[in-house]
Amino acid sequence: MPVQHSAAVPPVKVAALTKHFGHRPALTGVSLQLNPGEVFGYLGPNGAGKTTTLRILMGFLRPTSGVANVFGLNAWRDAEEIHRRVGYVAGDVALYDRMTGTELLSYLANLRGNVDAEYMRLLAKRLDADLDRPLRTLSKGNRQKVAIIQALMARPSLLILDEPTTGLDPLVQQQVHELIREHATSGGTALLSSHILSEVQRVADRVGIIRGGELVAVERLDDMRRKSLHHVRVAFTAPIDASEFMIDGVHDVNVDGLALTCAATQAALDPLLRAVTRHQVVDLTCEEASLDDTFLAFYGGGPNAG
Amino acid sequence: MLANVCTKALSDQRRGLVAWSVALVLLVGMYAGFYPSFHGSGSYTDLINQMPKALRDLFTAGVGGDLSSGPGYIYMEMLSFMAPALLLVYAIGAGAQAISGEEERHTLDLLLATPITRRRIVVEKSLAMALGITVITTAVGAAIIAFGAATGMGLSTVNVVASMVHLALLALVFGCLALLVGAATGRIALARGIPAAFAVVAYLVNGFAPSVAWLAPLRKFSPFFQYVGHDPIRNGFSFVAIAVSVMTAAVLVTAAVGLFRRRDISC
Repeated sequence: MPVQHSAAVPPVKVAALTKHFGHRPALTGVSLQLNPGEVFGYLGPNGAGKTTTLRILMGFLRPTSGVANVFGLNAWRDAEEIHRRVGYVAGDVALYDRMTGTELLSYLANLRGNVDAEYMRLLAKRLDADLDRPLRTLSKGNRQKVAIIQALMARPSLLILDEPTTGLDPLVQQQVHELIREHATSGGTALLSSHILSEVQRVADRVGIIRGGELVAVERLDDMRRKSLHHVRVAFTAPIDASEFMIDGVHDVNVDGLALTCAATQAALDPLLRAVTRHQVVDLTCEEASLDDTFLAFYGGGPNAG
Repeated sequence: MLANVCTKALSDQRRGLVAWSVALVLLVGMYAGFYPSFHGSGSYTDLINQMPKALRDLFTAGVGGDLSSGPGYIYMEMLSFMAPALLLVYAIGAGAQAISGEEERHTLDLLLATPITRRRIVVEKSLAMALGITVITTAVGAAIIAFGAATGMGLSTVNVVASMVHLALLALVFGCLALLVGAATGRIALARGIPAAFAVVAYLVNGFAPSVAWLAPLRKFSPFFQYVGHDPIRNGFSFVAIAVSVMTAAVLVTAAVGLFRRRDISC
């Protein structure tokens, strides 16, 4: 299982991180800290700066200003030392196409020098990866599996995964999420990016939303779920007054004759139902909105959306 | 074969190396087959000597031509232009592939994500290129010795070996330049184009220098002068030329390391 080095040092610490490509700012003042054992979902539209952040942490890009530390080491200066403890999947996965999966993995294992071949085979089995054919003959999804195996095979303490489940079918996606969860349960940390929340909501403890190079929010997923809206529809036997349902946390109240529709946060459900049951009810439905919808409600729109 | 970056690079090139070696050996064999019809006939040499001096210098890379003797023939047909041109194509290609090739195919991320330093990637890739050049020049040298003996060219083995060492160093210098441009820019087109243009200029400077006064001081800076300026097929090794070439390659690789370590690797 992942080796925990000094537990007091955060696996990832980013402070006032800024990166410009020429005059174009790609990242502006991003600050973020990950805790050991945490899975962090890094969310944002394409071009928002997710990949730039991850590549800075890998030491591929040098920050224009600010701090980017991994295990307390400088991501740019101490990249090789950091890489001993990090598994990485690039956003745009490219492998040595003429090699087979086995050849590629044993080459990378030789370069790393600390890979357990048994564990590598176990991972291949769990992901149902074909390691015997040349990589160029595999589908995008099957190549992605090989990329994920190479990131996990050295049992790193930190996983940096740039959109790791794109191109994978739902079953394999679930397997990958399980592997990430197991990694976190045993004390490892994971930072994974995605452009949609639903892709990381099953696996992440916290999510950060980046847009236009700025980190606009960091939320615990549990808190997010509490804020998640429920669409409530009630049919009554007699006409009702909309003002009765103007409760804190209840939005979009609409009364149409005998029917009420509204959206309520989890916290507002109890007072809402108490108000409802003062009348005779014919029918009631309550549907939870997807977290994606909730996200859009909180962070959607704005000048940088997209 | 996949133990490290160097052996991996060689393993990728194994088919190419065999093809290059076989093609060059066949080329040597073909030229050797024509040798008997040139041998002892002064008319071809007269033809060369009738050329304007500047043109003759260019054709003979500033060394002078004599097609009737074995060393003169092999120099004119193989060593003055054909062999260096082909070796440079190989070396510049290999040098450009080393860093910028991987970067443009995005496989560089895989290497950079391992605990291998950028310095080691450059050094091991350079080593692989040097070994590849050694394989090809060894094959060419062996072919020249064998076919030369078979057709009675009367070549000195030591001088053939010396010519091949100098040829390998010429290729190494331009291969390292390609690797440097690739490491500094990540662009394979530049990594191929800049050294190729440099090679043409260096060849012309070395060839024209004996007949163009203002070029004369520049000749010593041309890697082609280090290659054939001392006429290795007749005079053997020049340790000064070897030292200059090795140092040039070392400086280029060191610069490649320095520039590669400073650079952003974007996806």
